[in-house]
Amino acid sequence: MAGKGGSGFRSALTEVGEIAEFTDRFFRNAFHARFEWRELIRQCTVNGALTLPLVGVTAFIMGLVLTVQSRPTLARFGAESMLPAMVAISMVREIAPVITALICAGKIGSSMGAELGSMRVTEQIDAMEVSGTNPFRYLAVTRIWSTILMLPVLVVFADGISIWASWIGVNLRDTVSWELFYRQVFDSLEYSDLIPAFIKSFFFGLAIGVVGCYKGFTTKKGTEGVGRSAHSAVVTASLLIFILDLLVVQITDLLGFT
Amino acid sequence: MADPYPPGQPNAAAERVIRIQDLHLSFGSNHVIRGFSLDLHRGENVMVLGRSGSGKSVLIKCIVRLLRPDSGRIEVLGQDMLALDQDALDHLRVKIGFLFQSSALYDSMTVQENLEFPLRRHWIATTPGEADALVGEVLAAVGLSETRDLYPSELSGGMKRRIGLARTLILKPEIVLYDEPTTGLDPITGKEIVELILDLQRRYNTSSIIISHDLHVAKLAANRIAVLHGGRNYLEGTYEELRRSEDELMKRFFVFM
Repeated sequence: MAGKGGSGFRSALTEVGEIAEFTDRFFRNAFHARFEWRELIRQCTVNGALTLPLVGVTAFIMGLVLTVQSRPTLARFGAESMLPAMVAISMVREIAPVITALICAGKIGSSMGAELGSMRVTEQIDAMEVSGTNPFRYLAVTRIWSTILMLPVLVVFADGISIWASWIGVNLRDTVSWELFYRQVFDSLEYSDLIPAFIKSFFFGLAIGVVGCYKGFTTKKGTEGVGRSAHSAVVTASLLIFILDLLVVQITDLLGFT
Repeated sequence: MADPYPPGQPNAAAERVIRIQDLHLSFGSNHVIRGFSLDLHRGENVMVLGRSGSGKSVLIKCIVRLLRPDSGRIEVLGQDMLALDQDALDHLRVKIGFLFQSSALYDSMTVQENLEFPLRRHWIATTPGEADALVGEVLAAVGLSETRDLYPSELSGGMKRRIGLARTLILKPEIVLYDEPTTGLDPITGKEIVELILDLQRRYNTSSIIISHDLHVAKLAANRIAVLHGGRNYLEGTYEELRRSEDELMKRFFVFM
Protein backbone atom coordinates (compact mmCIF):
# COMPACT_ATOMS: atom_id res chain seq x y z
CA MET A 1 0.00 0.00 0.00
CA ALA A 2 2.80 2.34 1.00
CA GLY A 3 4.57 1.48 -2.22
CA LYS A 4 1.48 2.29 -4.29
CA GLY A 5 0.93 5.56 -2.41
CA GLY A 6 4.59 6.47 -2.88
CA SER A 7 4.52 5.81 -6.60
CA GLY A 8 1.25 7.76 -6.93
CA PHE A 9 2.82 10.71 -5.15
CA ARG A 10 5.93 10.43 -7.33
CA SER A 11 3.87 10.34 -10.54
CA ALA A 12 1.83 13.35 -9.34
CA LEU A 13 5.06 15.26 -8.72
CA THR A 14 6.38 14.19 -12.12
CA GLU A 15 3.20 15.50 -13.73
CA VAL A 16 3.52 18.82 -11.91
CA GLY A 17 7.08 19.08 -13.25
CA GLU A 18 5.99 18.20 -16.77
CA ILE A 19 3.16 20.75 -16.70
CA ALA A 20 5.66 23.39 -15.50
CA GLU A 21 7.98 22.40 -18.35
CA PHE A 22 5.07 22.58 -20.83
CA THR A 23 4.22 26.08 -19.52
CA ASP A 24 7.85 27.14 -19.93
CA ARG A 25 7.80 25.77 -23.48
CA PHE A 26 4.65 27.80 -24.15
CA PHE A 27 6.30 31.05 -23.02
CA ARG A 28 9.41 30.29 -25.12
CA ASN A 29 7.20 29.84 -28.21
CA ALA A 30 4.45 32.34 -27.37
CA PHE A 31 6.06 35.30 -29.11
CA HIS A 32 7.62 33.50 -32.06
CA ALA A 33 8.09 35.68 -35.12
CA ARG A 34 5.93 33.48 -37.31
CA PHE A 35 2.74 33.57 -35.30
CA GLU A 36 -0.28 31.50 -36.29
CA TRP A 37 -2.83 34.36 -36.40
CA ARG A 38 -5.38 32.49 -38.48
CA GLU A 39 -5.43 29.52 -36.13
CA LEU A 40 -5.54 31.85 -33.11
CA ILE A 41 -8.64 33.59 -34.46
CA ARG A 42 -10.27 30.22 -35.13
CA GLN A 43 -9.49 29.05 -31.62
CA CYS A 44 -10.75 32.32 -30.09
CA THR A 45 -14.03 31.78 -31.95
CA VAL A 46 -14.31 28.17 -30.78
CA ASN A 47 -13.20 28.77 -27.19
CA GLY A 48 -14.64 32.23 -26.76
CA ALA A 49 -17.66 33.02 -28.92
CA LEU A 50 -19.05 29.49 -28.89
CA THR A 51 -18.73 29.30 -25.10
CA LEU A 52 -20.73 32.50 -24.55
CA PRO A 53 -24.18 30.82 -24.46
CA LEU A 54 -23.11 28.28 -21.84
CA VAL A 55 -21.40 30.92 -19.70
CA GLY A 56 -24.36 33.25 -20.15
CA VAL A 57 -26.97 30.70 -19.03
CA THR A 58 -24.87 29.67 -16.02
CA ALA A 59 -24.18 33.28 -15.00
CA PHE A 60 -27.88 34.12 -15.33
CA ILE A 61 -28.85 31.23 -13.05
CA MET A 62 -26.10 32.06 -10.53
CA GLY A 63 -27.10 35.74 -10.37
CA LEU A 64 -30.79 34.93 -10.01
CA VAL A 65 -30.34 32.17 -7.42
CA LEU A 66 -27.86 34.17 -5.35
CA THR A 67 -30.28 37.10 -5.26
CA VAL A 68 -33.35 35.03 -4.40
CA GLN A 69 -31.53 33.04 -1.71
CA SER A 70 -29.74 35.99 -0.11
CA ARG A 71 -32.78 38.21 0.16
CA PRO A 72 -34.41 36.52 3.23
CA THR A 73 -31.17 36.69 5.24
CA LEU A 74 -30.59 40.34 4.37
CA ALA A 75 -34.26 41.10 5.07
CA ARG A 76 -33.87 39.62 8.57
CA PHE A 77 -31.27 42.32 9.30
CA GLY A 78 -33.19 45.03 7.46
CA ALA A 79 -30.45 45.21 4.86
CA GLU A 80 -32.39 44.37 1.69
CA SER A 81 -31.11 47.54 0.09
CA MET A 82 -27.61 46.00 0.24
CA LEU A 83 -28.69 43.20 -2.09
CA PRO A 84 -27.40 44.71 -5.38
CA ALA A 85 -24.05 45.54 -3.81
CA MET A 86 -23.69 42.14 -2.18
CA VAL A 87 -24.54 40.24 -5.36
CA ALA A 88 -22.31 42.45 -7.50
CA ILE A 89 -19.28 42.17 -5.22
CA SER A 90 -19.70 38.41 -4.76
CA MET A 91 -20.13 37.81 -8.47
CA VAL A 92 -17.38 40.14 -9.68
CA ARG A 93 -14.76 39.23 -7.10
CA GLU A 94 -15.21 35.48 -6.85
CA ILE A 95 -18.21 33.66 -8.21
CA ALA A 96 -18.16 34.75 -11.86
CA PRO A 97 -14.39 34.20 -12.39
CA VAL A 98 -14.32 30.84 -10.65
CA ILE A 99 -17.58 29.48 -12.08
CA THR A 100 -16.68 30.68 -15.60
CA ALA A 101 -13.23 29.11 -15.28
CA LEU A 102 -14.72 25.82 -14.08
CA ILE A 103 -17.20 25.79 -16.96
CA CYS A 104 -14.37 26.48 -19.39
CA ALA A 105 -12.25 23.76 -17.77
CA GLY A 106 -15.13 21.39 -18.44
CA LYS A 107 -15.96 22.51 -21.95
CA ILE A 108 -12.67 23.78 -23.40
CA GLY A 109 -10.21 21.73 -21.34
CA SER A 110 -11.91 18.44 -22.09
CA SER A 111 -12.34 19.24 -25.78
CA MET A 112 -8.64 20.19 -26.07
CA GLY A 113 -7.60 17.02 -24.25
CA ALA A 114 -9.80 14.86 -26.44
CA GLU A 115 -9.06 16.59 -29.76
CA LEU A 116 -5.29 16.75 -29.33
CA GLY A 117 -5.25 13.33 -27.70
CA SER A 118 -7.06 11.87 -30.66
CA MET A 119 -4.63 13.62 -33.02
CA ARG A 120 -1.73 12.20 -31.00
CA VAL A 121 -2.88 8.57 -31.05
CA THR A 122 -3.79 8.67 -34.75
CA GLU A 123 -0.34 10.13 -35.58
CA GLN A 124 -1.82 13.39 -36.93
CA ILE A 125 0.51 15.40 -34.69
CA ASP A 126 3.46 13.36 -35.95
CA ALA A 127 2.30 13.92 -39.54
CA MET A 128 2.22 17.65 -38.91
CA GLU A 129 5.69 17.55 -37.40
CA VAL A 130 7.30 15.58 -40.24
CA SER A 131 5.79 17.93 -42.80
CA GLY A 132 7.86 20.71 -41.25
CA THR A 133 5.08 22.35 -39.22
CA ASN A 134 5.85 22.81 -35.56
CA PRO A 135 2.75 21.23 -33.93
CA PHE A 136 3.47 22.86 -30.58
CA ARG A 137 3.34 26.34 -32.10
CA TYR A 138 0.42 25.55 -34.38
CA LEU A 139 -1.77 23.54 -32.00
CA ALA A 140 -0.73 24.31 -28.43
CA VAL A 141 0.43 27.94 -28.49
CA THR A 142 -2.67 29.14 -30.35
CA ARG A 143 -5.03 27.22 -28.06
CA ILE A 144 -3.33 28.45 -24.89
CA TRP A 145 -3.33 32.06 -26.15
CA SER A 146 -7.01 31.74 -27.01
CA THR A 147 -7.95 30.68 -23.46
CA ILE A 148 -5.73 33.38 -21.93
CA LEU A 149 -7.43 36.03 -24.06
CA MET A 150 -10.97 34.70 -23.95
CA LEU A 151 -11.32 33.89 -20.25
CA PRO A 152 -11.33 37.57 -19.14
CA VAL A 153 -13.87 38.35 -21.87
CA LEU A 154 -16.09 35.49 -20.71
CA VAL A 155 -15.73 36.56 -17.08
CA VAL A 156 -16.77 40.16 -17.87
CA PHE A 157 -19.71 38.77 -19.86
CA ALA A 158 -20.67 36.54 -16.91
CA ASP A 159 -20.42 39.55 -14.56
CA GLY A 160 -22.81 41.53 -16.74
CA ILE A 161 -25.33 38.70 -17.20
CA SER A 162 -25.32 37.78 -13.50
CA ILE A 163 -25.94 41.39 -12.44
CA TRP A 164 -28.79 41.65 -14.93
CA ALA A 165 -30.20 38.36 -13.59
CA SER A 166 -29.90 39.72 -10.08
CA TRP A 167 -32.01 42.75 -11.09
CA ILE A 168 -34.63 40.31 -12.45
CA GLY A 169 -34.41 38.40 -9.15
CA VAL A 170 -35.01 41.58 -7.16
CA ASN A 171 -37.98 42.43 -9.38
CA LEU A 172 -39.62 39.07 -8.74
CA ARG A 173 -40.87 40.52 -5.42
CA ASP A 174 -40.23 44.27 -5.59
CA THR A 175 -40.12 46.83 -8.31
CA VAL A 176 -36.71 48.38 -8.74
CA SER A 177 -35.77 50.28 -11.84
CA TRP A 178 -32.72 49.16 -13.82
CA GLU A 179 -31.17 52.62 -13.45
CA LEU A 180 -31.39 52.53 -9.65
CA PHE A 181 -30.14 48.95 -9.47
CA TYR A 182 -27.30 49.70 -11.88
CA ARG A 183 -26.28 52.79 -9.85
CA GLN A 184 -26.29 50.83 -6.60
CA VAL A 185 -24.13 48.12 -8.19
CA PHE A 186 -21.54 50.52 -9.57
CA ASP A 187 -21.47 52.65 -6.44
CA SER A 188 -20.49 49.55 -4.50
CA LEU A 189 -17.84 48.28 -6.89
CA GLU A 190 -14.27 49.56 -6.73
CA TYR A 191 -11.20 48.98 -8.83
CA SER A 192 -9.89 46.74 -6.05
CA ASP A 193 -12.83 44.44 -6.78
CA LEU A 194 -12.35 44.42 -10.53
CA ILE A 195 -8.57 44.26 -10.97
CA PRO A 196 -7.75 41.09 -9.00
CA ALA A 197 -10.69 39.29 -10.61
CA PHE A 198 -9.53 40.39 -14.04
CA ILE A 199 -5.94 39.36 -13.34
CA LYS A 200 -6.86 35.95 -12.03
CA SER A 201 -9.01 35.22 -15.06
CA PHE A 202 -5.86 35.45 -17.23
CA PHE A 203 -4.20 32.86 -15.00
CA PHE A 204 -7.28 30.65 -15.12
CA GLY A 205 -7.14 30.84 -18.92
CA LEU A 206 -3.46 29.91 -18.88
CA ALA A 207 -4.15 26.94 -16.59
CA ILE A 208 -7.03 25.63 -18.74
CA GLY A 209 -5.08 25.98 -21.98
CA VAL A 210 -1.84 24.52 -20.66
CA VAL A 211 -3.48 21.55 -18.94
CA GLY A 212 -5.79 20.77 -21.89
CA CYS A 213 -2.92 20.88 -24.39
CA TYR A 214 -0.50 19.04 -22.11
CA LYS A 215 -2.99 16.22 -21.56
CA GLY A 216 -3.69 16.01 -25.29
CA PHE A 217 -0.04 16.06 -26.33
CA THR A 218 0.93 13.36 -23.83
CA THR A 219 -1.95 10.99 -24.60
CA LYS A 220 -1.01 7.33 -24.77
CA LYS A 221 -2.79 4.00 -25.12
CA GLY A 222 -5.27 4.66 -27.93
CA THR A 223 -8.90 5.60 -27.53
CA GLU A 224 -8.91 4.70 -23.83
CA GLY A 225 -6.09 7.21 -23.40
CA VAL A 226 -8.10 9.89 -25.23
CA GLY A 227 -10.97 9.51 -22.76
CA ARG A 228 -8.54 9.60 -19.86
CA SER A 229 -6.89 12.75 -21.23
CA ALA A 230 -10.24 14.50 -21.58
CA HIS A 231 -11.40 13.83 -18.05
CA SER A 232 -8.02 14.33 -16.38
CA ALA A 233 -7.72 17.68 -18.21
CA VAL A 234 -10.96 18.76 -16.49
CA VAL A 235 -9.96 17.44 -13.08
CA THR A 236 -6.42 18.88 -13.14
CA ALA A 237 -7.49 22.25 -14.56
CA SER A 238 -10.31 22.56 -11.98
CA LEU A 239 -7.91 21.80 -9.16
CA LEU A 240 -5.39 24.30 -10.56
CA ILE A 241 -8.13 26.95 -10.76
CA PHE A 242 -8.82 26.63 -7.03
CA ILE A 243 -5.10 26.67 -6.18
CA LEU A 244 -4.54 29.73 -8.37
CA ASP A 245 -7.60 31.40 -6.86
CA LEU A 246 -6.14 30.89 -3.41
CA LEU A 247 -2.73 32.21 -4.48
CA VAL A 248 -4.06 35.25 -6.35
CA VAL A 249 -6.32 36.19 -3.42
CA GLN A 250 -3.34 36.01 -1.06
CA ILE A 251 -1.07 38.00 -3.38
CA THR A 252 -3.63 40.70 -4.18
CA ASP A 253 -4.43 40.91 -0.47
CA LEU A 254 -0.74 41.50 0.25
CA LEU A 255 -0.65 44.12 -2.50
CA GLY A 256 -3.53 45.96 -0.88
CA PHE A 257 -6.39 45.03 -3.20
CA THR A 258 -8.78 44.24 -0.37
CA MET B 1 9.73 6.77 -69.28
CA ALA B 2 12.48 4.23 -68.52
CA ASP B 3 13.05 3.28 -64.91
CA PRO B 4 16.24 5.16 -63.92
CA TYR B 5 17.08 2.59 -61.36
CA PRO B 6 15.53 -0.81 -61.96
CA PRO B 7 15.22 -3.32 -59.13
CA GLY B 8 18.19 -5.57 -58.51
CA GLN B 9 20.80 -3.07 -59.62
CA PRO B 10 22.35 -1.36 -56.60
CA ASN B 11 23.97 1.90 -57.57
CA ALA B 12 26.59 2.77 -55.00
CA ALA B 13 28.03 5.46 -57.29
CA ALA B 14 24.92 7.61 -56.95
CA GLU B 15 24.84 10.44 -54.43
CA ARG B 16 24.10 9.27 -50.90
CA VAL B 17 20.96 10.96 -49.54
CA ILE B 18 20.63 9.15 -46.21
CA ARG B 19 23.37 7.65 -44.09
CA ILE B 20 22.54 5.89 -40.82
CA GLN B 21 25.49 4.76 -38.75
CA ASP B 22 25.50 2.52 -35.70
CA LEU B 23 22.08 3.56 -34.42
CA HIS B 24 21.02 2.56 -30.92
CA LEU B 25 17.69 3.18 -29.24
CA SER B 26 16.16 1.72 -26.09
CA PHE B 27 12.85 2.23 -24.34
CA GLY B 28 13.76 1.52 -20.74
CA SER B 29 15.22 -1.96 -20.68
CA ASN B 30 13.87 -2.78 -24.13
CA HIS B 31 16.79 -2.35 -26.57
CA VAL B 32 14.93 -1.90 -29.85
CA ILE B 33 17.76 -0.81 -32.14
CA ARG B 34 21.22 -2.13 -31.28
CA GLY B 35 23.60 -0.81 -33.88
CA PHE B 36 21.82 -0.49 -37.24
CA SER B 37 23.45 1.14 -40.27
CA LEU B 38 22.05 1.89 -43.71
CA ASP B 39 22.81 4.04 -46.76
CA LEU B 40 20.21 5.28 -49.25
CA HIS B 41 21.39 6.58 -52.62
CA ARG B 42 19.57 8.98 -54.92
CA GLY B 43 16.88 7.28 -56.99
CA GLU B 44 17.07 4.10 -54.94
CA ASN B 45 14.27 2.19 -53.19
CA VAL B 46 15.60 0.42 -50.12
CA MET B 47 13.31 -1.79 -48.16
CA VAL B 48 13.85 -2.51 -44.50
CA LEU B 49 12.41 -5.94 -43.90
CA GLY B 50 11.75 -7.31 -40.46
CA ARG B 51 9.27 -9.14 -38.32
CA SER B 52 6.51 -7.28 -36.50
CA GLY B 53 7.95 -5.52 -33.48
CA SER B 54 11.50 -5.65 -34.80
CA GLY B 55 11.84 -1.85 -34.63
CA LYS B 56 11.30 -0.94 -38.30
CA SER B 57 8.85 1.89 -37.60
CA VAL B 58 11.04 3.12 -34.76
CA LEU B 59 13.92 3.26 -37.23
CA ILE B 60 12.18 5.57 -39.72
CA LYS B 61 10.82 7.73 -36.93
CA CYS B 62 14.45 8.23 -35.90
CA ILE B 63 15.33 9.32 -39.45
CA VAL B 64 12.87 12.24 -39.29
CA ARG B 65 13.68 12.78 -35.60
CA LEU B 66 10.22 11.96 -34.32
CA LEU B 67 12.28 9.81 -31.99
CA ARG B 68 15.77 10.64 -30.81
CA PRO B 69 18.22 7.72 -30.82
CA ASP B 70 20.42 7.08 -27.79
CA SER B 71 23.50 7.06 -29.98
CA GLY B 72 24.60 6.83 -33.59
CA ARG B 73 24.52 9.23 -36.51
CA ILE B 74 21.84 10.08 -39.07
CA GLU B 75 22.74 12.21 -42.07
CA VAL B 76 20.02 13.34 -44.46
CA LEU B 77 20.99 15.24 -47.61
CA GLY B 78 24.38 15.88 -46.02
CA GLN B 79 22.99 17.33 -42.78
CA ASP B 80 23.37 15.80 -39.35
CA MET B 81 19.72 15.31 -38.29
CA LEU B 82 20.56 15.01 -34.63
CA ALA B 83 22.46 18.30 -34.49
CA LEU B 84 19.91 20.55 -36.24
CA ASP B 85 17.99 23.20 -34.32
CA GLN B 86 14.17 23.20 -34.57
CA ASP B 87 13.90 25.70 -37.44
CA ALA B 88 16.61 23.99 -39.52
CA LEU B 89 14.98 20.63 -38.82
CA ASP B 90 11.56 21.89 -39.96
CA HIS B 91 13.19 23.25 -43.11
CA LEU B 92 14.88 19.92 -43.88
CA ARG B 93 11.74 17.92 -43.10
CA VAL B 94 10.03 19.58 -46.06
CA LYS B 95 12.42 17.59 -48.29
CA ILE B 96 11.45 14.32 -46.62
CA GLY B 97 8.02 12.86 -47.22
CA PHE B 98 6.58 10.39 -44.74
CA LEU B 99 3.67 8.07 -45.43
CA PHE B 100 2.24 6.79 -42.17
CA GLN B 101 0.85 3.31 -41.79
CA SER B 102 -2.41 4.87 -40.60
CA SER B 103 -2.20 7.59 -43.33
CA ALA B 104 -2.60 10.11 -40.46
CA LEU B 105 -4.93 12.41 -42.43
CA TYR B 106 -6.26 15.39 -40.45
CA ASP B 107 -9.75 14.14 -39.74
CA SER B 108 -11.30 17.55 -39.15
CA MET B 109 -10.28 18.69 -42.65
CA THR B 110 -11.52 17.73 -46.11
CA VAL B 111 -9.17 16.10 -48.60
CA GLN B 112 -8.63 19.50 -50.24
CA GLU B 113 -7.78 21.10 -46.88
CA ASN B 114 -5.50 18.20 -45.96
CA LEU B 115 -3.53 18.77 -49.15
CA GLU B 116 -3.54 22.56 -48.90
CA PHE B 117 -2.33 22.51 -45.31
CA PRO B 118 1.39 21.85 -46.02
CA LEU B 119 1.27 24.28 -48.98
CA ARG B 120 -0.07 27.10 -46.79
CA ARG B 121 2.36 26.30 -44.01
CA HIS B 122 5.37 26.64 -46.30
CA TRP B 123 4.08 29.51 -48.46
CA ILE B 124 4.34 27.31 -51.53
CA ALA B 125 0.97 28.40 -52.84
CA THR B 126 0.19 31.99 -52.01
CA THR B 127 -3.14 32.27 -53.83
CA PRO B 128 -6.17 29.94 -53.75
CA GLY B 129 -5.76 29.40 -57.49
CA GLU B 130 -2.18 28.16 -57.12
CA ALA B 131 -3.13 25.87 -54.25
CA ASP B 132 -6.06 24.53 -56.23
CA ALA B 133 -3.84 23.71 -59.20
CA LEU B 134 -1.25 21.89 -57.06
CA VAL B 135 -3.94 19.94 -55.21
CA GLY B 136 -5.52 19.01 -58.54
CA GLU B 137 -2.15 17.81 -59.85
CA VAL B 138 -1.40 15.44 -56.96
CA LEU B 139 -4.98 14.20 -56.74
CA ALA B 140 -4.83 13.34 -60.43
CA ALA B 141 -1.49 11.60 -59.86
CA VAL B 142 -3.04 9.31 -57.24
CA GLY B 143 -6.24 8.90 -59.27
CA LEU B 144 -8.63 10.49 -56.78
CA SER B 145 -9.57 13.82 -58.34
CA GLU B 146 -13.20 13.45 -57.30
CA THR B 147 -12.53 13.27 -53.55
CA ARG B 148 -11.66 16.95 -52.87
CA ASP B 149 -14.67 17.65 -50.67
CA LEU B 150 -14.75 14.37 -48.78
CA TYR B 151 -13.61 13.94 -45.19
CA PRO B 152 -11.14 11.16 -44.29
CA SER B 153 -13.93 9.25 -42.52
CA GLU B 154 -15.69 8.97 -45.89
CA LEU B 155 -12.72 7.29 -47.58
CA SER B 156 -11.78 3.60 -47.76
CA GLY B 157 -8.44 2.35 -46.42
CA GLY B 158 -6.86 2.29 -49.88
CA MET B 159 -8.15 5.79 -50.68
CA LYS B 160 -6.78 7.13 -47.39
CA ARG B 161 -3.39 5.65 -48.25
CA ARG B 162 -3.50 7.34 -51.68
CA ILE B 163 -4.48 10.71 -50.20
CA GLY B 164 -1.72 10.27 -47.61
CA LEU B 165 0.67 9.69 -50.49
CA ALA B 166 -0.66 12.77 -52.30
CA ARG B 167 -0.15 14.90 -49.17
CA THR B 168 3.38 13.53 -48.87
CA LEU B 169 4.19 14.37 -52.47
CA ILE B 170 2.60 17.81 -52.65
CA LEU B 171 5.73 19.39 -51.16
CA LYS B 172 7.84 17.61 -53.82
CA PRO B 173 10.16 15.85 -51.38
CA GLU B 174 13.51 14.38 -52.46
CA ILE B 175 13.15 11.42 -50.12
CA VAL B 176 10.02 9.50 -49.15
CA LEU B 177 9.79 7.17 -46.16
CA TYR B 178 6.98 4.63 -46.29
CA ASP B 179 5.83 2.98 -43.09
CA GLU B 180 4.11 -0.30 -44.00
CA PRO B 181 2.42 1.12 -47.11
CA THR B 182 0.33 -1.98 -47.82
CA THR B 183 -0.51 -3.19 -44.33
CA GLY B 184 -4.22 -3.64 -43.76
CA LEU B 185 -5.05 -3.50 -47.47
CA ASP B 186 -6.34 -6.35 -49.62
CA PRO B 187 -3.74 -7.81 -52.07
CA ILE B 188 -5.21 -6.01 -55.10
CA THR B 189 -5.27 -2.59 -53.43
CA GLY B 190 -1.83 -3.30 -51.94
CA LYS B 191 -0.43 -4.01 -55.40
CA GLU B 192 -2.06 -0.84 -56.74
CA ILE B 193 -0.42 1.16 -53.96
CA VAL B 194 3.01 -0.32 -54.76
CA GLU B 195 2.55 0.44 -58.46
CA LEU B 196 1.49 3.94 -57.54
CA ILE B 197 4.59 4.35 -55.35
CA LEU B 198 6.81 3.27 -58.27
CA ASP B 199 4.96 5.50 -60.72
CA LEU B 200 5.23 8.51 -58.40
CA GLN B 201 8.88 7.77 -57.73
CA ARG B 202 9.59 7.98 -61.45
CA ARG B 203 7.43 11.07 -61.87
CA TYR B 204 8.81 13.00 -58.89
CA ASN B 205 12.30 11.45 -58.92
CA THR B 206 12.34 10.51 -55.26
CA SER B 207 14.50 8.12 -53.24
CA SER B 208 12.70 5.89 -50.76
CA ILE B 209 13.01 3.77 -47.70
CA ILE B 210 10.12 1.34 -47.43
CA ILE B 211 9.42 -0.32 -44.12
CA SER B 212 7.49 -3.53 -44.49
CA HIS B 213 7.26 -7.22 -43.79
CA ASP B 214 5.44 -7.78 -47.07
CA LEU B 215 7.62 -9.65 -49.54
CA HIS B 216 5.33 -8.74 -52.43
CA VAL B 217 6.28 -5.12 -51.84
CA ALA B 218 9.92 -6.19 -51.70
CA LYS B 219 9.65 -8.02 -54.99
CA LEU B 220 7.90 -5.21 -56.81
CA ALA B 221 9.51 -2.11 -55.37
CA ALA B 222 12.85 -2.71 -53.68
CA ASN B 223 16.21 -2.31 -55.37
CA ARG B 224 17.83 -3.53 -52.21
CA ILE B 225 16.56 -5.09 -49.00
CA ALA B 226 18.11 -4.64 -45.56
CA VAL B 227 16.88 -7.15 -43.02
CA LEU B 228 16.50 -5.77 -39.50
CA HIS B 229 16.56 -8.51 -36.90
CA GLY B 230 17.39 -8.30 -33.22
CA GLY B 231 17.84 -4.56 -33.66
CA ARG B 232 20.84 -5.06 -35.98
CA ASN B 233 21.65 -5.45 -39.67
CA TYR B 234 21.01 -9.11 -40.29
CA LEU B 235 21.34 -9.54 -44.04
CA GLU B 236 21.33 -7.29 -47.09
CA GLY B 237 20.78 -8.02 -50.75
CA THR B 238 18.38 -7.95 -53.64
CA TYR B 239 15.08 -9.78 -53.50
CA GLU B 240 16.52 -12.67 -55.51
CA GLU B 241 19.65 -12.92 -53.36
CA LEU B 242 17.59 -13.12 -50.19
CA ARG B 243 15.14 -15.57 -51.75
CA ARG B 244 18.00 -17.91 -52.59
CA SER B 245 19.63 -17.49 -49.20
CA GLU B 246 20.14 -20.59 -47.08
CA ASP B 247 19.65 -18.56 -43.91
CA GLU B 248 16.93 -20.04 -41.68
CA LEU B 249 15.22 -16.71 -40.99
CA MET B 250 15.09 -15.92 -44.70
CA LYS B 251 13.67 -19.34 -45.47
CA ARG B 252 10.92 -18.67 -42.94
CA PHE B 253 10.24 -15.28 -44.51
CA PHE B 254 9.96 -16.75 -48.01
CA VAL B 255 7.99 -19.81 -47.00
CA PHE B 256 4.77 -18.58 -48.68
CA MET B 257 6.44 -17.01 -51.71
